[in-house]
Amino acid sequence: MRKFKITVKVLLFLIVGGFFHYVLPQHDIVRVTSTEVIRADFNWYNRLFYAQADSGNAELTTRDIRLIYTEKKKTWLLGFVPRDATEIMVYRNEDTGWIWPPYFKFDSSDLQAEAAALASRGGEQWAVITHYGWRIKFMSVYPNAVGIRAVDSPDVTIIPWFNIFFFIFLFIAWRFVIAMWRQFRERSVDPLLEDAGEVWDKMDDHADAASEKARGIWGRFMAWLATWRKK
Amino acid sequence: MGFIRLVVLGFIAMTVVYFAISIYSRSIRREKLEDAWDADHPDGGDEAARDTYIEQGMIEYENGFRKKLIWLVYIIPTFAVAILLIVMNTN
Repeated sequence: MRKFKITVKVLLFLIVGGFFHYVLPQHDIVRVTSTEVIRADFNWYNRLFYAQADSGNAELTTRDIRLIYTEKKKTWLLGFVPRDATEIMVYRNEDTGWIWPPYFKFDSSDLQAEAAALASRGGEQWAVITHYGWRIKFMSVYPNAVGIRAVDSPDVTIIPWFNIFFFIFLFIAWRFVIAMWRQFRERSVDPLLEDAGEVWDKMDDHADAASEKARGIWGRFMAWLATWRKK
Repeated sequence: MGFIRLVVLGFIAMTVVYFAISIYSRSIRREKLEDAWDADHPDGGDEAARDTYIEQGMIEYENGFRKKLIWLVYIIPTFAVAILLIVMNTN
């Protein structure tokens, strides 16, 4: 039972953590090398990882997707060990529109133009790209870029303000829900339970009295014997 | 279409939160009034006077400023979306 509980907790943590890791914005330090448009024919297993057609367009089974090719500065290994190396990273650039996830991004074309402008500087310009999502090569899934800005050097310090405030908000909301639940229990559920408890006690008393009667002399004698037993 | 869905679902979600917070806030207010009365009257006091005291306090709460603050549940998300929309889509 304990193992089962731990397994459920770990699974829950992984699912919730994975969800936030996918949906919340992250920042990469990159050099944009080029931009491209490819046609994508989605399958049922990778459709989930794409947004919908550009805002205002009809949704068809196949459509063009904007990609941004970059060389990305590697993040710290496991978040602790600094690495001075780069890797290749490809971002898609799609409208999230009014729907999920709620980035309200409608300016994919503008973002593509910005990326192209950065790429036109001979690939020497460092930039910070904000994105959400994962790169899953086996399923042709790309993280979605939501913003890009040029920076002077690759050693910029990035403070994830949105994520900080988001988790503070989440914590406060969670405490609030707990407080509401406690108040609800204290004021609404517990008085009901107390009433029910009183009824239960009464029933219990009746039952005790009845069993006392039913037990008879022999039962009482055995009970008296039991009192002599070592406690 | 997406915009209509956002508005409808958002409105439903905010309404649920609004009512949850309203009920919670009212409950807290009533509990505070009860505690205040009990602090002033350690022996329990007159039952009818206690009821009028609490009902009076609740009426004051219903017409007060604090209750109006709960409308922020509708206002803040709407503004947050508007600001996000502007920030995300201007270069």
